[in-house]
Parts: sequence; C-alpha cells; structure tokens
Amino acid sequence: MTVTASAERHFTCREADIPEEGRIVDVRGMSVGLFRVGERIVAVLNICPHELAPVCLGQRRGTTLPSAPGEFRWGREGEILACPWHQWEFDLLTGVSLTDPKVRVRTFPVEVENGDVYIRLRRA
Amino acid sequence: MPRAETVIDTDIHTMAIPERVAAYLPEPWKRRYLGGNRGPGVLGYWNPGGVLRADAVTDAGVQIAARPETLARDYFDVTGIAYGVLNPEGVIHIGVSPELDYSAALLSAINDHFIHDWLPVDPRFRMSIGVAPNDPVAAAKEIRRVGRTPGVVQVLMGSGAREAYGHRMFHPIYEAAQEVGLPVGIHPGNEGVGITGPTGAAGYATNYFEWHSGLVTSYITHLISLINEGVFVKYPELRVVLIEGGVSWLPALMWRMDKNWKALRMTVPWLTEPPSATIQRHIRLTTQPIEEPENPQHLRQILEMFDYGSMLMFSSDYPHWDGDTPDFAARFIPREQRANVLSETARRLYRLPAPVAEAVG
Repeated sequence: MTVTASAERHFTCREADIPEEGRIVDVRGMSVGLFRVGERIVAVLNICPHELAPVCLGQRRGTTLPSAPGEFRWGREGEILACPWHQWEFDLLTGVSLTDPKVRVRTFPVEVENGDVYIRLRRA
Repeated sequence: MPRAETVIDTDIHTMAIPERVAAYLPEPWKRRYLGGNRGPGVLGYWNPGGVLRADAVTDAGVQIAARPETLARDYFDVTGIAYGVLNPEGVIHIGVSPELDYSAALLSAINDHFIHDWLPVDPRFRMSIGVAPNDPVAAAKEIRRVGRTPGVVQVLMGSGAREAYGHRMFHPIYEAAQEVGLPVGIHPGNEGVGITGPTGAAGYATNYFEWHSGLVTSYITHLISLINEGVFVKYPELRVVLIEGGVSWLPALMWRMDKNWKALRMTVPWLTEPPSATIQRHIRLTTQPIEEPENPQHLRQILEMFDYGSMLMFSSDYPHWDGDTPDFAARFIPREQRANVLSETARRLYRLPAPVAEAVG
C-alpha cells in the first residue's frame, strides 16, 4: 500500500502488548485489529465490508488451498481472517477476500519504532 | 410445413417395440421380458388424462411415437422439427430397478433396438442411451459400448435417484461420458420408482399433482451435488442437461450457492470459482414445461438473470400430456436469443449439422 506523506501517524500500543491471537485497539474512535503475521504486524479496520460485522473478532487461521475434488491441503496458517458472521475469508497480508478480488477489508500501513506500533490513516 | 425458425426438439419420447427389444435381449431375460414382467412399475399416481396425449395417435389409433415411420411423418414433418432427441420411454424406470443384472441387460437391448431399428429410419433422429446409475461400472461399460455410435448424442438417467448425482459413486459414469464425448441428460418421472426411495426429500407425495409439482426438487438436489462434489473440476469437458426440470428456480439457486460458497469455500477448496460460473459453463436446461406466469414479462426477467442464450434448449416432451409446442415456448423467449433456444444451443451441444429440413422447406 502506498503511504502518502500527508497520512497521519497514530500510536496504537506497544508491540509487546500484541498477544499471539492479536488485539483490538481504538484509534480516533475507530476499532482496529492488530495481528502478527510472521514477522509483520497487520492492522485491519474492524468492519467487514459485507454486513459491517466486527471482522477482527473472527477466526484467525489458515485455510484449505485449491485442490482436486475430495482432497484437502491446509496452508497459510495465521494469514487468514474469517469474519465471525458469514465466515468470509480475507487474506491478512493484502486485505483481499479469497472469493472475490473486488472485496477487501480495509488495512492500514503499520510502522514500529522503539517498540511502539503506529498506523497511518489516510486523510479524507 | 415450412417454418420461419429452425427447431431442434431435445426431448421426444418414443415407445420401444417389445418384440424388437426381445430380439436383442439374451436369456434368461428374454423369456422374462416377453412373459410380461418388464421391471419396476410406477407408484400409480393418477393422472386422469393419462400421461400420453390422446391425440398423439394415427388414424388407425396407433401411438405415433411407437413406430419410427409414424413419428417421422406425423410428428417431425407436421411440426417441422429439424432434429429431435429420442428419449425412450421406460429407460429411466428400468434404470432404478434393484435388479442390476436385469436392468443392465434390458437397457442394452433397448439401446440396441433404437440404434438399429429407429436411427436408420430418419436422418433427423438422434437418441439418448439409457444406463442404470446404481451400477456405475456397468453404466460406464454401456456408455463405452455404444456411446460412439453415430446418432447417439446423450446418456440418459432419471432424476429419481438413490443418491444425489454428484456423489463419487457415480463418477465412473461421468468419466465414460466425457471419454466418448456425450453429455449426460437427467430426466424426471422415476421419482419413487424402483429403489429411488421417497418421491421427495421430505417423503412421499400423496397424489400426481404433488408428485409432478415437486419434481424440481430432484433437480435442485442433483445440481447442488454435482457442483459440490467437483464433478466438473474432475471432468472439465462434461456437460449435464437438466431435462424437463423447470427453469425459473435456477437463478435463485445460483445466488444461494454463490452466497454459501463465499462463506464455506474452505469446505470445498476444489471450487475455485463461484458455483454460478461453473453452472453457466456446464449445465444446459430444456424449456418444457415452461413456467407460465400471468405476466410473461416476469419469465423474461428471470431468463435475463442467467446466460439462458447458451444454456436453454427447446423441448416438446412429445407425446406427453404436459408438452409445449415450439410456437408456444418461443413466445416466452426474447427475440434476440430465440434462435439459440430453439435450435443453436442444442446444435452445438449435440454436434448436429445444418438442418436437412430447411432445404426441403
């Protein structure tokens, strides 16, 4: 994601305070989920684009990769966020839905400085 | 009778000639068949007018569809049908007999009878071969035995079934059909017959009206199953024709399946595209019995909700009581897709040449 120079940077929490399962923080009245994906920290607006459910309360997991009929291949552990309502799956690394590339959760650029986690919000 | 539009009829019912069937039937089945025990009967629901049209007889009172010569003269010539797919009466009932060896032998004999005694009579005739889905290995063997015969254009199974047709037990049938290049057609009428179980998912219909109205539920069940089990992923060249199963339910089911796929894709990872996309590519439907809303515009709106121009094919169901004439069905079809529905989609699916009837016109 391109970060414009005008995007404001907001403190969220200390990196050490993000547990393995992730946490939800309040940033200027917005609910934002912070998740560890490998070495990265990903910030997701806690609103599902489908019916506005609190998407960050859903399962964080891997998923079944494309396979032949009757076969199951598990992969991408920890990289998938599934909405708690209709179980739409989103790729945490991009925010994009696994079934429709036009659909995505909103993600924010994350910066970590001296153990502090910041996200950038685009100006309107 | 010359027509403005070419018509290919994708569902015509013909009656096997018993003594000719017997000629292709080995013992001990031949003596059984000639003795009058011909397999599972229907449940006996009462259609007061009978299933066959009372007017579909010659002046001598013989069923027009019971002999190839009269079918050609009194149906094809009169109606101006360029090509017609013959779906022999009874094969879908025999196909769900619990007696697997008998049903396989009898279906082979009926297939041979139509191949040798009907197809050569008129160049407009095409036919489906009947198979018994409950013995998929035998069905696949029959498909490989006669499926490449010129004039054979489809494998036929009843929509009444023990299991939904996506179930992996049936896959040998699809493998064979794809191998010989034939679509698989599913036709209603054997619901409740043989070992199909109850007529509907929630039990037995109590009369013909209930039974006949509920036949669509078989189609919905089979279509969901075919998609769910990845049949078209495994057999990407396969086409399935939903014959006489209704039309208007399709878009609603496509939406429902797409919605569920977005939620539950994880459980069917072989489905890498929305079910509606697979359906539009692999499924064909026949028109009869076309739904008749009071406002015909409503049906046109439903047609616009899916790619009907490349999926929907005219069928008459002649000589059954609930058939549609080409003119009647055509008035529900928007003009821009009428040629596709009346002939061209069927011509592509069944690989039919340019019509011979037009030259005679």
